[in-house]
Amino acid sequence: MQDFVLALPFLLLGAGILTALAFSRSGWTASRLGWTLSLFPFSSFILALYAFTLVPSGKALTFSIPWIPSLGLNFSLYLDGLAALFALLITGIGTLVVIYAGQYFGDDASAWRFHAYTLLFMLAMLGLVLAGDLITLFIFWEGTSISSFLLIAYKFKDEAARKGAFKSLFITGGGGIAMLTGFLFVIHLTGSADFKTVLASGDLLRTSPLYPVLFTLIAFGAFTKSAQFPAHIWLPEAMTAPTPASAFLHSATMVKAGVYLLARLNPALGGTDTWFWTLSIVGLTTMLVGAYLGFKQNDLKPLLAYSTISQLGVLVALIGQDTEIAFKALVISILAHALYKSALFMSAGIIDHETGTRDLRKLGGLCKQMPVMFGIMGIAILSMAGLPPLFGFLAKETLLASATHPSLPPIVDSLFPLTTVLAGALILAQAVLAVWGVFLGKPADEKHPPHGHDPNFSFWLAPAVPALLSLLIGLAPVEPQFLVNFLADAAKAAYGDKVKVSLTLWTGLNVPLVLSIVAVMLGALLFRQRGRIRPWMTNFLPNFTVNALFNGTMSGLDSLSRLATRLQRGQMRFYLRVMLLGMVALVAMFVGVPAGVPVPKFEWNLVGLNGLRMFSLVMLTAAALVSVFIKRDLHAVIALGITGLGVAVWMALDPSPDVALVQIVVDILATVILILSLSLIPRRLRDRANELLHSRKGMARDALIAGAAGLVMAGLAFIALNTRPRESVVSPFYAENAKPLTGAKDIVGAIVVDFRGADTLIEILVFAMAGLGIYTLLHYAARKGGEYTREPPEIPLRAHTPLGIHNLPTSPMLHMLAYIMFPLAFMLGVTHMMYGHDQPGDGFTAGVIVSLTIAQWYMLFGYYETRRKLAWLNRNNMIVAGLTLALFNAAGGAVFGGGFFAPVNYGEMLGLPLPAGFGITNSFFFEVAIALTVMGAATLILDNLGHPREEDLEAEADLAALEEKP
Amino acid sequence: MNLLTSLAIGILFAAGIYQILRRNLIRAAIGLVLISNAVNLFLFSAGAYTGIEAAYSTATRQVSDPLPQALVLTAIVISMGGFAFVLSLLYVISTRYKTSDSDEVKGLKN
Repeated sequence: MQDFVLALPFLLLGAGILTALAFSRSGWTASRLGWTLSLFPFSSFILALYAFTLVPSGKALTFSIPWIPSLGLNFSLYLDGLAALFALLITGIGTLVVIYAGQYFGDDASAWRFHAYTLLFMLAMLGLVLAGDLITLFIFWEGTSISSFLLIAYKFKDEAARKGAFKSLFITGGGGIAMLTGFLFVIHLTGSADFKTVLASGDLLRTSPLYPVLFTLIAFGAFTKSAQFPAHIWLPEAMTAPTPASAFLHSATMVKAGVYLLARLNPALGGTDTWFWTLSIVGLTTMLVGAYLGFKQNDLKPLLAYSTISQLGVLVALIGQDTEIAFKALVISILAHALYKSALFMSAGIIDHETGTRDLRKLGGLCKQMPVMFGIMGIAILSMAGLPPLFGFLAKETLLASATHPSLPPIVDSLFPLTTVLAGALILAQAVLAVWGVFLGKPADEKHPPHGHDPNFSFWLAPAVPALLSLLIGLAPVEPQFLVNFLADAAKAAYGDKVKVSLTLWTGLNVPLVLSIVAVMLGALLFRQRGRIRPWMTNFLPNFTVNALFNGTMSGLDSLSRLATRLQRGQMRFYLRVMLLGMVALVAMFVGVPAGVPVPKFEWNLVGLNGLRMFSLVMLTAAALVSVFIKRDLHAVIALGITGLGVAVWMALDPSPDVALVQIVVDILATVILILSLSLIPRRLRDRANELLHSRKGMARDALIAGAAGLVMAGLAFIALNTRPRESVVSPFYAENAKPLTGAKDIVGAIVVDFRGADTLIEILVFAMAGLGIYTLLHYAARKGGEYTREPPEIPLRAHTPLGIHNLPTSPMLHMLAYIMFPLAFMLGVTHMMYGHDQPGDGFTAGVIVSLTIAQWYMLFGYYETRRKLAWLNRNNMIVAGLTLALFNAAGGAVFGGGFFAPVNYGEMLGLPLPAGFGITNSFFFEVAIALTVMGAATLILDNLGHPREEDLEAEADLAALEEKP
Repeated sequence: MNLLTSLAIGILFAAGIYQILRRNLIRAAIGLVLISNAVNLFLFSAGAYTGIEAAYSTATRQVSDPLPQALVLTAIVISMGGFAFVLSLLYVISTRYKTSDSDEVKGLKN
């Protein structure tokens, strides 16, 4: 149960976010909120420290809860030396940043948002380093991308902030997707996402033919996140974030995520030539490019950002080396860099806050006004420059010591120390430049020297802590044993073997020291000659940047998408043409038989074809064609009805009476509804549209497209029908179990009402929704648009002369017929419900048959008369009653039958004397429910589409006006 | 028989698609029903085996495959609901745009 301690920091940080939200309206100042909220990361820090003490040396503490067990996915956590190093940095520096952010935003009561984002980021970052498997890691990885987007765009009214945030999200997000793909390859090869398995399958992964692919993808993700050249361009622009965010994200945490990933996977993926060369070349290039570009900067924050890029390059290059000392250098550099860089960023924020600028050209001579800041920043910058006696010196010494590779050819081998020395000199020069520019040198404009003074203690506390730690670790008279063991553990987890770590500064006169002295002298020279070198750097290739490439790509994508949206010209038929042609082209592309699949034998297979079948096929195709060619739309509707009946005949011949019955009644109802709604559309509109149907314009084109699509569908249907399996696994089960399990003779009915009852429940729900949708559309949505003024129908008290559809008088003979049909249809419906289990027909047919007679009434008596005569027929109540009954009935199965929708025979249970063939079962109730719902929804549809046109006169006037126009 | 069924399906599709592609919205609705008929016909024909008798447990000879029948039954009812909704849209269009010509329906863009 002690593993649970791993999950606790997450709960704490989550509670922190909730606290920040809870105080959003309290009016608390950022400062007060910052102090309060710092308790959450601080306690997480303590917990992480405690958890680390529980880890047996060289092993890992794990915690796992199942997440999607069917996919083998877990939410798992994993703590070893490497994860602990990062977790402590995140929570430790996080605590300081939260306090610092409180001071930075001061009295701003709206800064709770910043606090919430920071804690959210911290949660994601902690999850990233503590993740116990690849998928968990990926999710938190994306979490850091998103929360850092929010932080960078915190001042969202500033366009530069939005652009910077987008750029970082675009690049790191793209890398994240590549990384996920790489992870999927790893999971595919090892069979598990779990780190324990993955880290132990190094040989399997390295020898796999997929290794280059997965390595490239994962390395790409890591490189984008850790701002490696040429993906480094997002980091300087992310400096538009408020400084507390920069101090946190861009020094110690997010940019190190890629480094962490590479270090974490080194035991599984590292050690190959590909690994060595890629990481070395990318890392060293980044180191040099970052150092070079940093020396050009005049703004403190970008200067620090470029030196961070350079340092990240160093870390990546170190992971590429397969030597013990490289990993010693790695862990020391990670810690040293996190300490001095966070101190420097926070100091830069304070200077900006106090003097109003970060521009080195405007600053200068502040050492007397801000002695404390001079001290803090001076210590941190010396550590960055790698000068003794600071921790940074130690980091650089170890780095230089690791930069020799006796196994490589001498020329290549000498490149390593050479670039390191060069980059070190550039870093040193810009470090001195920063301190000189702020505190010692003279401001460019001597008449307006910058004003500022040291802030109060609580503001400078946050940068002072890491700066002093850099000094203390360097100066400690005895090696702090805990720290040594801690770093050794971290290095061991990354290296895969024991790493000896020592923190002594003075190791005698050796090659690294000599190189270091060379670097310092070169750096001093660069600094002295800055007046000549920096202007030259600014003018050297000013337009050739990776940014230009990025912007070019983005605008290229933009114009491509504009080109694509040209297709969307607002004409629906055009969309349809494009889609259909696309479908035809897609099918045409895949025409052919894939290798290994037996070619289907072409058979005429006229078994079962008889005159009646032939007749039904001819009838339905002929009617379909007639509906196209016939001139008047009312006739086309009739032809459509005939097509539907043809389909029904075909179904009845199969033989499948249930479907045929439903097809017949639904087809008739559809025809009736279509005729009803045709009567709503003014005759002249319809006539004009009909002329367009038969106009020559575009006819050949449409016919060609339709013909091609029809041919494709016929071909697909033919192939599908010819190659379909001739045995079913499911159907025999239904056939055998219909009677014993549900008591139904009708297997189709049993499937609909019992076996797939939930399906049917959803189906009647959809049908009811269609009815309600029509009602809403005609009564509210259309009225909101302002074109539709019809009030919900009110039945006038005065009796109307019954006028049928189109306001035509109807004969009393037909009225009499309608009076007789109605009760008959009701009785027919009831029998369908009662005996549907053993005979063709079911709740659907019952509902539709009754609806058909109601439709007949609408046609013969007209809207008002029908509503008056059938006032008791409340469609809303019918829908509600139907759906409620269906649900309760299904629940009844759970109570009496042992499962939702389980069959129960209530009649038998109560011993009721019932006629043979009829049972009061829950299937029967379900049939009733279906019938009620279908009837209600159908009546609702008829009611709305059968409504008389009150705006007839208005439309006529409009039409007259239309026709007068030329 | 498969060939003839496929041909019928193809003709129904072609007739339906042609009507949808023309400028007459009422015919487009008709085309929609033709297409759903074609789909139902296809699903119905996709049963694993054809029978001589209807699928009743009392049948003594080979019964037809009940599974596609049950599925098509559901499909028929649902396509009917969708069709009714399309018709009400047609009505709204005819009052809002005073037309049943799809090209005259403007304002879809922007």
